[in-house]
Amino acid sequence: MRVLEETLSTPGTESVISLNAVTREYASHGNVVRALDSATFAINSGEWVAITGPSGSGKSTLVNMLGCLDRPTSGTLKIDGTDVASMSATELDRFRADKIGFIFQQFHLIPYLSAIENVMLAQYFHSMTDESEARVALEKVGLGARISHLPSELSGGEQQRVCIARALINNPPILLADEPTGNLDAANQKIVANLLGELHRYGHTIVMVTHDPEMAALAQRKIALSHGKVFCHPTSSSRMIRLQR
Amino acid sequence: MTLSMSTILRRSLIHRRARSLSALVALTVSAGVATALLTLYADLDAKLHHEFRSFGANIVITAPASSALPQDALAKVRQVAGSDALVAPFAYAIATTDRGTPVVVAGTDFAAVKKLDASWAIENGAWPDPSDTQAALIGQRAANFIADEHAVKLTFAGKPLTLHGTGRIKTGGDEDSRIYIPLPAFTAWTGTTTSVIEVQISGNAQKIDAAITGLKSALPGMQVQPVRQLVEGESRIVDRTHTLMYAAVLLIALTVGVSVLATLSASVLERRRDFALMKALGGSQSQLISLFLLEAALLAFAGVIAGYIIGSALAWAISETNFGTASLPRIEVLPLVLLLNMAIAVMAALFPARVLRGLQPAALLKGE
Ligand SMILES: Nc1ncnc2c1ncn2[C@@H]1O[C@H](COP(=O)(O)OP(=O)(O)OP(=O)(O)O)[C@@H](O)[C@H]1O
Ligand SMILES: [Mg+2]
Repeated sequence: MRVLEETLSTPGTESVISLNAVTREYASHGNVVRALDSATFAINSGEWVAITGPSGSGKSTLVNMLGCLDRPTSGTLKIDGTDVASMSATELDRFRADKIGFIFQQFHLIPYLSAIENVMLAQYFHSMTDESEARVALEKVGLGARISHLPSELSGGEQQRVCIARALINNPPILLADEPTGNLDAANQKIVANLLGELHRYGHTIVMVTHDPEMAALAQRKIALSHGKVFCHPTSSSRMIRLQR
Repeated sequence: MTLSMSTILRRSLIHRRARSLSALVALTVSAGVATALLTLYADLDAKLHHEFRSFGANIVITAPASSALPQDALAKVRQVAGSDALVAPFAYAIATTDRGTPVVVAGTDFAAVKKLDASWAIENGAWPDPSDTQAALIGQRAANFIADEHAVKLTFAGKPLTLHGTGRIKTGGDEDSRIYIPLPAFTAWTGTTTSVIEVQISGNAQKIDAAITGLKSALPGMQVQPVRQLVEGESRIVDRTHTLMYAAVLLIALTVGVSVLATLSASVLERRRDFALMKALGGSQSQLISLFLLEAALLAFAGVIAGYIIGSALAWAISETNFGTASLPRIEVLPLVLLLNMAIAVMAALFPARVLRGLQPAALLKGE
């Protein structure tokens, strides 16, 4: 499968995601909640970043904007050099299908489609379906024998692996994972962590929300959120990148 | 294997059987009701007029006292009234039965009367054969005054006439005391000819008024009178029936529309997450809406097929019980029913389409 075999880009050279004073406010029940407050940082191509912070600190809000599912209230967000504010809703749909793969905590598989059909759904909305490619993707995540199972016939860990295969099938440069192991036991967490590690080695940029220190430790850099504000601490691994440069 | 819109649709419909079925039932009901009403409606005017025709004449033409209708009166009336009007001539005389009782004998054209006065009930027999020149219809009260209904012996001004009765008339009116015989036989026997012509024009009051004006100028000096009560009553009943019909169609369309709307909305709302996911995977607004509209259209189409069959059967049963004649299925209502059902489905889909437009995948896909 092309996804796991090709190297997407040389890591650490250009920023694939950049935020400048990005703010997201929600208006609800007459109040304005500032879920993300003037976030300014950049993520380099091929980087593996963990986003951490207490519940309600704005992690999902941030990831949704990085995934172009949501737009900033103010500030500039550039993905792969393009300002998302400059794109129409239709262009954004297209852009998202090309650039972003999503891995969800709740998997979000379509319950009436089999594992392989769920993977092919991403192909369908991206361009055209290719069954053999979808089959290879499922084999890579260790589900070669489960391709025609419905989500209800799969364990949580297996469902998450289908979700990963689906996120990768269109070979997007950026993978966004909102608590990808939040619903998994230790054994399955390990499988998913290994898969993410492999994807990182092949050059995907990974932005991962996690509460789990063990998972966070796998990332090169942590971005901590608190009350919508960003605190980037350079970790040892990110210092390592800097040393390598 | 490929994954196409039709695969997604089929899987989704089967997976949510109960929901699909309830939408299908709602759309079948709408198509069924529309089919039944349209079929009945198409038949309604004909049916109503048929019913009213049995009420008899709505125009009566008579000669003023001490004069007679002109020879060509019947031909003129037929010409003025038009080919779809019913026209029957009558001539009257008082004769004596073989029991010595006076009785009104009427000469007429049985074939014309049979159509004009379709409500006449004939008992103990049937309408006379039009070729039978010696036939008689005996009013049920008049029957008491004659000895033998198979050999009715009458005398007029000393001239005897023997006829054979073919049945008894029962109308509850004057007809029950009369004996009806063929007009040629009557004229040969009594020497008198047509004195009354009854006409039935089908249509509204204006049409009848126009016919009266026409008849008056064609037959100067003759009395042309509407049977007023019936004329006004007829148009009032027809108008009322139409209004009732429209109101019923509107009410039912509204009710069904609301229930289809509720069903389809619920069916989108419960799949908000699925649609949000498809959006996240790059599905465009138009792709999602067409997926959804296609589903609604598919259900509407299936509903039309089932509804057309059920509705046609319903129309048949309703007309059978109410009018005594069967409304046959009308294929020409099918496109209209299809259009109506599609319109309901698309309109009902507009609200969910708005839900889809406002869908925030971010809010739906995160957490919980
Ligand atoms: N649609 C919304 N409308 C109003 N407020 C919202 C909305 N979504 C999020 N918020 C608010 O924004 C803040 C950040 O929410 P967010 O979901 O990003 O938190 P989080 O860090 O992902 O939390 P968790 O770890 O529990 O998932 C919270 O205070 C939340 O209540
Ligand atoms: Mg969250």
